[in-house]
Amino acid sequence: MLKSLDVENLRNKALQALDSRVRAITAGLGLNELRAVMRGDPATEKPNPRYKVHTTSFLFHIRPRYYERGSTIFAHTFRLGFFTAFLFAVELVTGLILMIYYSPTPSEAYQSILELESNVPFGLMMRDMHRLAAEGMVIFTFLHMLRTFLTGSYKKERSFTWFTGVILLGITLFLSFFGYLLPWDQLAYWAVTIGTSMADAAPLVGNELNLLLRGAPDIGAGGLLRAYLLHVILLPLAAILVISIHYYKVSREHGISLPASMEEGDVPPEVKKNARQRIDYIPDLLTHEVFLTALGIFILVASIAIFGYSAPLEHIANSQQTPLDTKAPWYFWWLQGMLKLGDKTLMGVIIPTLIVGLLIAVPYIDRNPYRSLFKRPVAVGIGLLTVITLLVLSYMGTPVYRIETPAATRILQDLAPEEGEGPLRSVPYDQLQPGVYEVGAEIPRDLCPNLDFGCPDLARIFAEYSRRVVRAATDLGLEDIERLPDAQAVMLIEDWQQDLKKITMRIVWNDPQSGDQKVYERLIFLHRERGME
Amino acid sequence: MTRVQLEISLGILLVLLTGTILTVYGFNEESRMARYSEEQQARSIEVGAELYDINCKGCHGPQGEGIPLVCPPLNDRNFFTNRLEEVGWSGSMEDYVVSTVSGGRLVSTRPDQYPGQGKPAMPAWSDAYGGPLREDQIRAIAAFILNWESTAPERQAAATPTGPPVGTDIAVRLPGGDARRGESLATTQGCVSCHVATSVGPAWMPTAQEPGIGTRAETRFTQPDYTGQAATPEQYLLESIVNPGAFVVSGFQPVMPGNYGQVMTAQEAADLIAYMLSLK
Repeated sequence: MLKSLDVENLRNKALQALDSRVRAITAGLGLNELRAVMRGDPATEKPNPRYKVHTTSFLFHIRPRYYERGSTIFAHTFRLGFFTAFLFAVELVTGLILMIYYSPTPSEAYQSILELESNVPFGLMMRDMHRLAAEGMVIFTFLHMLRTFLTGSYKKERSFTWFTGVILLGITLFLSFFGYLLPWDQLAYWAVTIGTSMADAAPLVGNELNLLLRGAPDIGAGGLLRAYLLHVILLPLAAILVISIHYYKVSREHGISLPASMEEGDVPPEVKKNARQRIDYIPDLLTHEVFLTALGIFILVASIAIFGYSAPLEHIANSQQTPLDTKAPWYFWWLQGMLKLGDKTLMGVIIPTLIVGLLIAVPYIDRNPYRSLFKRPVAVGIGLLTVITLLVLSYMGTPVYRIETPAATRILQDLAPEEGEGPLRSVPYDQLQPGVYEVGAEIPRDLCPNLDFGCPDLARIFAEYSRRVVRAATDLGLEDIERLPDAQAVMLIEDWQQDLKKITMRIVWNDPQSGDQKVYERLIFLHRERGME
Repeated sequence: MTRVQLEISLGILLVLLTGTILTVYGFNEESRMARYSEEQQARSIEVGAELYDINCKGCHGPQGEGIPLVCPPLNDRNFFTNRLEEVGWSGSMEDYVVSTVSGGRLVSTRPDQYPGQGKPAMPAWSDAYGGPLREDQIRAIAAFILNWESTAPERQAAATPTGPPVGTDIAVRLPGGDARRGESLATTQGCVSCHVATSVGPAWMPTAQEPGIGTRAETRFTQPDYTGQAATPEQYLLESIVNPGAFVVSGFQPVMPGNYGQVMTAQEAADLIAYMLSLK
């Protein structure tokens, strides 16, 4: 028996057996081939197994065999499309995990978020990451579109790809919008209330559309469930479908566009030839994509764990209390800005629909055959103008612009906002020395001489309070709504309970128009262990 | 080094870095979650304090001291040590508070000491029973109330009236009042727990904008919008105490308990009125 044992042969047999296992997993790449891939050597077999993979493996089949060298130049694409897809994948993974802990009912939703953040290891990070990647996805989708527009890559055979891209921009915005409601806090509730109220303004079907979205005249259990199902089922499925079409066009049909200069520019033929050189998917593109994925995950994790990005969570949604300074998520500020300019139906429904229509029609309106920036000044001009308009509108959408809040409300809201931290709440608990602090012409230098280390932060807040009240009381150049004639203002700090202080901020003034005495007061309770945001 | 090799090395480095960050983050999770729960509790108390201030202080006093002979105090030692046994409650203190606030009380458990506001003795607050508050808000109020435990003082049971009550008829003849005794009643019997609206002290004192309650009482019942029965300043003040719903000055809410006529003697009422009329 020993005689028949051929050691050499055995080793080969074992290697062969291993090799065939590996080939089964890698869809045709043997051990030697894998080694060559890693070393950057040329293919070891014929036909080239690195190409064969694309027909035998599903995952590789949907990827391109090669890109042209010119289209892989970093400054041409900035990998914006890749990162959009990457962030979408992050959303899918983190979203699936978050679904385990979330229950979409008004009585449970907020509690389940608190539970997630206080009782699930890495729960907070999952939520932060889901939110960060969502915001990132909006940014990258937009930048990707802008890049495509500026490089003229939507023309000719790519016009349908552009169309699917516009649809994807819409899906991304709707995904963010409905996801925004799910934490069921004040921020979410009121932003989405404003958003869905725009549906109400749609002509003819507005009321029905609004009912369909909210499930009732106001957002409640029905609205939350609908937002949830849209967010976790319908829109992701739609996104996956359209992304597949969008990507298939790029990878299997027309590829990524070449830089305009290399395609149509006045460059030597060898540059053009060089630009068309094929870069194989395996190993170059694959390695690059894996590297970018590692980079993307690192940036997400570092933003949260090191740079402290954190998804906001305000007080639980309260339909009875409209917060001051209601604000849409930043990527809808432009829309909020437009709403301030005119009628809800026109600004909130008709113009946005027109914008979408225009975006889709861009490849068909623009008949200029050239792609270079310099040969299409009108298109580039319109593009830049649009970006500037969006920025200006976004600014106008913030509460800073044209929202008139009465002076007393404004001052107290700035010092101790209804939601979030604000300067007053960030004063260390031990500096909150009980007492009555009346605003006078003189700002006391030392507010609490009895405390060992004084109360510099409290004194700073009080000085700010005094300064603003005195200015509103004495500056006659202000508008009526900003004035507080004959103002008396007080800040009252009381020990209220164990580890709990009550701060009363009260402003009394004579209304400049009617002359009646008005009072505005805000109570703030601060607990020692409340923590900083 | 080719580009592929560079990317593989850098990629491995990034994966290791990410792994390190996640490991450190993971080690901190335990304490972070504990701190988070603590902060959540603290914020719950803050929210509860605000809700209590809006909804509960009218009867139970701004600091939970209650109103003698009307509503029980919530911040005394007895409440935290004996109350569960007294009512035979088998659950936790928090359950007891949440349950009471949610469903209110149809009748008082101590009708001789704290009859409450009439019928029901305490209204239901949960929206499940027709009240205005959500479950989480009631839990926040409970967190605030339970936070009194560590500082709860010992308290005497409230005194019962020393004589026959004055009743609600404002035309009754009152004995002569003593303003000094009235002042001490006003400041010790819980009036100030609600009537503190000005920066100079109790609401009946004169301020820069308004004269004292004495002067106000002289003109109020002659105003055209006055809806009560009083014909003199004395009657107006008595009416405000024993039948506070008869006329509510505009800008205020009808929140004053209506049973002072049953718990206050004629002498006490006369003393209070004498004190108030002295404030011009």
